[in-house]
Amino acid sequence: MLLEVNVMAMSAVARDTIFALRRQIAKIEGTLPERLQAPSGCAPEAIPGKVRSSFPSGMAQNQTPSDAAGPDMTIVRRGLAVASADAFLHTGIDRLDAALGGGLPKAALSEIHGLETRDAGAVAGFALSLVSLVLREKQGLPILWVGTAEIFHEAGMPYARGLHALFGIVPGQLLFSEAPKLLDALWIAEEAARMTAFAAVILEIRGSPRLLDLTATRRLHARARSAGRPLLLLRQAGEADPTAAPVRLIVSAAPAASRETLAGPLAGSIGRPAFKVDIGKSRTALPGQFTLEWNPDEHAFAERTENSVAVVPASGRGADPAPAFGAILAFPALASPAVASAAAGDQPSRQQHPAHRSPRRAG
Amino acid sequence: MISHRDNNTQRIAALDERAEALRLKRGMGIADARAMHPSIDVVEADPEADRRLLEGLADWCDRYTPLVAIDAEDGLFLDVTGCTHLFGGERAMQDEILARFFQQGFDVRAGLASTPGAAWAAARFHGDRIVAGGEEEALLSPLPLSALRIAPETRASLESVGLRTAGAVMAAPRAPLARRFGATLLLRLDQALGRLDEAVSPRLPVAPLSVERHLAEPVVLTDDIERLVSRLAIALKTDLERRGEGARTLALLLFRVDGAVNRIAVGTSRPMREPRLIQRLFHERLTALEQSIDAGFGFDLVRLSVLSVAAFDLVQGDLTGETDDDDADIALFADRVRARLGEAAVLKPVVVESHLPERAVKTVPFAEAPQGRAPAAGRPAPPRTAPPMTVYPPERPVRLFRSPEPIEVPATEIPEGPPMNFRWRRALYRVARAEGPERIAAEWWRQLPGEEEAPTRDYYRIEDSEGRRYWLYRQGLYSSAAQAAPPRWFMHGVFA
Repeated sequence: MLLEVNVMAMSAVARDTIFALRRQIAKIEGTLPERLQAPSGCAPEAIPGKVRSSFPSGMAQNQTPSDAAGPDMTIVRRGLAVASADAFLHTGIDRLDAALGGGLPKAALSEIHGLETRDAGAVAGFALSLVSLVLREKQGLPILWVGTAEIFHEAGMPYARGLHALFGIVPGQLLFSEAPKLLDALWIAEEAARMTAFAAVILEIRGSPRLLDLTATRRLHARARSAGRPLLLLRQAGEADPTAAPVRLIVSAAPAASRETLAGPLAGSIGRPAFKVDIGKSRTALPGQFTLEWNPDEHAFAERTENSVAVVPASGRGADPAPAFGAILAFPALASPAVASAAAGDQPSRQQHPAHRSPRRAG
Repeated sequence: MISHRDNNTQRIAALDERAEALRLKRGMGIADARAMHPSIDVVEADPEADRRLLEGLADWCDRYTPLVAIDAEDGLFLDVTGCTHLFGGERAMQDEILARFFQQGFDVRAGLASTPGAAWAAARFHGDRIVAGGEEEALLSPLPLSALRIAPETRASLESVGLRTAGAVMAAPRAPLARRFGATLLLRLDQALGRLDEAVSPRLPVAPLSVERHLAEPVVLTDDIERLVSRLAIALKTDLERRGEGARTLALLLFRVDGAVNRIAVGTSRPMREPRLIQRLFHERLTALEQSIDAGFGFDLVRLSVLSVAAFDLVQGDLTGETDDDDADIALFADRVRARLGEAAVLKPVVVESHLPERAVKTVPFAEAPQGRAPAAGRPAPPRTAPPMTVYPPERPVRLFRSPEPIEVPATEIPEGPPMNFRWRRALYRVARAEGPERIAAEWWRQLPGEEEAPTRDYYRIEDSEGRRYWLYRQGLYSSAAQAAPPRWFMHGVFA
């Protein structure tokens, strides 16, 4: 695939050869390479540190000099059996979905890395929030969590009461499997990954064992793909070894925002779980770093940007209530821009109006 | 020669023919025997090993009848009622048993009678005799009193009044005998003569159903055994269907040619009768046990027994022929994992009403967990026992350590406040923010009387300088009393 990066520099004859080769590859893989429109949010200039020519192997970039500078870059992606929008789990964060080429593949092995064992809480939390998103469509299906005895001892057992409150996973839905050895854990995960009765299977492993090589992960990936269920491979304190997983996310904890009250953020409190997510590997090979916050009330992610305006949720637990019938005549429509700007003027954020706070500080 | 310690002296417990030829006897002191024959070889008795051997033999005798009982230290009762025709009659069966034991190197005496007492006497005083029904009296009459299975003291006192044979006791009037020597004597006599029933309690529970196959050519390969299992399971299925039941526990018994018996059991989470599934379960179990099963010269009898059964609900399949029962899939998966990796391989959390975090969730093996996660379409939903809804449920971590890990807390800002920094697993953490405390007291109602009250715990949610969130607690309170131990800190869980 590295050949393709140099397409531009080659002669027309060489290009013909490349196209023939590409067709052959497509024939072997059984899918035609598909062309994606790179979303504007992921244009090269939007992502700092990304150099165009440094696409790693695993993706190919097909471009002509004319559109090299434009935002409508074309990306060639291949290897995904089903590339329909339904094949992806949408995280709800457009930027992340775009960087992953549509979302996290549903029927695949996905790696979630924690750099240190002490990140196990964040890694588990992120994986469970993904599972919680999966469960939106497959309500009531059980989840299997396979781990070695070592990791359960080092990082603690998943605690059913905590999972229920945060991710809406009922204790009766959970199944744990503690394997004495890694080989057994891999066997259990393989057997579970081929079943459609589980909503998702989580395999948790510590470190970079030799057994978890390309072959083992390929087996897991193939089973997950044929069953159409996600298999999340959590690796605590592991190296970025070559694996067959199309996506690797590196997750660590991010400081939580303060708790929101009606009177504003409560100073010194610890709010919703927050994760720092790095894309280590994906089909599109677009790098990116995201700080995500999990909303346990609505079971959804929210991205935290530098100057986000905190919004008090309309309801404490659960989604917004249904809109009221009728119309309120005493006030103008809420959607009108005049009112919106006026409302924003009532509670300006600190970044927007630093002057607003300065008198108080002086006083 | 084997010695054992009895009343602080070493005595002869058992001896071989050559020692007997030297006029040594059982019960003789070892010192006396050594004085007579200094060259004798004495081995300390090992009752445990004898017991194990006897149990092994009892296992092997399972091939003749499921009702095998161990009798004292040196005997086995086999209830062969209804089994003899399988081996060509009583005589042929007894001959086969004796021949097989002889080939294995055992010197065995056997007796077959319609009562356990008569069979016991026949085995010990005749060696190889079959007593027809009604002949018990003729068998016992000439035998000494020890043939009656009575205590030595009773025997000695009977002999002191001149009753030296069982026949003499039978001829004596019953009422004085009972008054003088106790009811046990007459009970034993009546049992031996068949006037009273005596139950032989089998060593192992009798399987409600079992199918077996005798093999002319012993099998060695695991594949062959698996194939046999599926054949046996097919035979088992019709029986289970007739009874309307499914198997909950299955055992596979492999009788090795030289007498060893392998017993392989698998449990199922829900009643099962499908031969294919049974074979898959045993496939996992045999794979796991591959190293520990020694086929030796092969197995010549394979038996599949159902140890426990449960009612089997028939499920109507849809037109495509697939029942699409996810629960069944999961149950099978759990059974297979369990068959390979042991009872605790698949765990299910069960919520318990308790304030203590480690007690609030109990993980139980899948098979023991309450079933019925999602009610099937046809069945009514079970009544829900929803926990009382609290407006703000307390925050609980996503991972909880098996046992709280002690941490070092050098300083807290205020005595009863959260720590400023702490050391856990030899790394120092700086506390950026803290929430709490949430005080959780010990459960006094579970405390035994007289037991010291467990200290209360103050839980804090902590966020360190890098954004990781932990659940710490302080056990006990700071006290002004000088002798009071300072409170200890523990790490109990991590938050997402």
